[in-house]
Amino acid sequence: MTRYSYKKPRTKSPFTPELQLIVSFFGVTILMLSLTYLFLVYKDKQFINEKNAMVKEKLFLAHETANIDKKIAYIQKQKLTAEKVLTQNMVLKDSIANLFDLVPERITLSKAKLLKNGLVLQGITPTKDVYNFMLQAPLRSIFQKTYSSFYPASNGWLYFVSKNYMDEENEGLDSEN
Amino acid sequence: MIIISVFLLFFILLFSFLILIPEGKDYREKRLELKKARVEYRQYQIYHDEIMENFKDLQSKNRHSITAFDAIFNPDRFQKQNKVYFSTLTLSKIKRGKDDDGFAVYEVNTSSHISSPKNFYDFLDAVNKSDWIIGVNFPIDFQRDGEMIHSSFTMKVYANNRDKNRTKDFSKKR
Repeated sequence: MTRYSYKKPRTKSPFTPELQLIVSFFGVTILMLSLTYLFLVYKDKQFINEKNAMVKEKLFLAHETANIDKKIAYIQKQKLTAEKVLTQNMVLKDSIANLFDLVPERITLSKAKLLKNGLVLQGITPTKDVYNFMLQAPLRSIFQKTYSSFYPASNGWLYFVSKNYMDEENEGLDSEN
Repeated sequence: MIIISVFLLFFILLFSFLILIPEGKDYREKRLELKKARVEYRQYQIYHDEIMENFKDLQSKNRHSITAFDAIFNPDRFQKQNKVYFSTLTLSKIKRGKDDDGFAVYEVNTSSHISSPKNFYDFLDAVNKSDWIIGVNFPIDFQRDGEMIHSSFTMKVYANNRDKNRTKDFSKKR
């Protein structure tokens, strides 16, 4: 075989350096784009999960808050009722104290009945005048209706029964005030 | 080679415009939604914490009335606690009365002997500090009985209206 050149012929490859450059360039680009896409998909899922968890937590908080609100309203109701009852007891105590202060020393009570809108007293008085001036007068200033009856006692004094009532209308006004 | 280059470039462009950019948009929208949800959640949490603090404060300030409404009336304990104010103290059987403002009301008739009205005032003070919410009600009777005063009155015991079987529980206790 006749040789025309001293150089050995090089074997030709389809992967030329130009092609390698293009493939590596596009390969790196596609890899980066794919990674970005995967990152975005992963983050999207993470956001959705986080948001769902937050919505659940929010609903739980809303439910809890509504429950606490109900409990607060109930405690406030309990507090108001307790205060009302305690105040009534104190008013009652003052009323009884006032009643006993009202009775003069010369008159002796044998029975006292405190009603919601009235007072019934039974006792003994030396004279009608003592009763009228010292007990009935202050009672009249408190009660709108006052009825008294007397009957003689064996020692010359007088037994009395005094029934005193407030008008329902006035009582209503008093309670409003 | 040019054909391959053009093909790859075309693929990249298609991938970017049809998949990557819409996904990016979606990502931004979801991030914004999450941010909104976080803000909303934080507002709920702040409100919840405020309400909770308010609740605990109210609970600690009204501990006595809360436990008193929850307590089941015990006539024996009541008599033990208050016998110091009376020479004799008798309680009748407990009756379920009409509910008041949603609370169960139990009525107890009381009959007692006191040596002076002051004992009764002290009793009323003690009732306000007792383990139950008790209101002393009209009519109240005072009658001279020798050196003593016989008194009779009705007490109303207020309790939480949890169940209708409470009356039975009370009756059993008696």
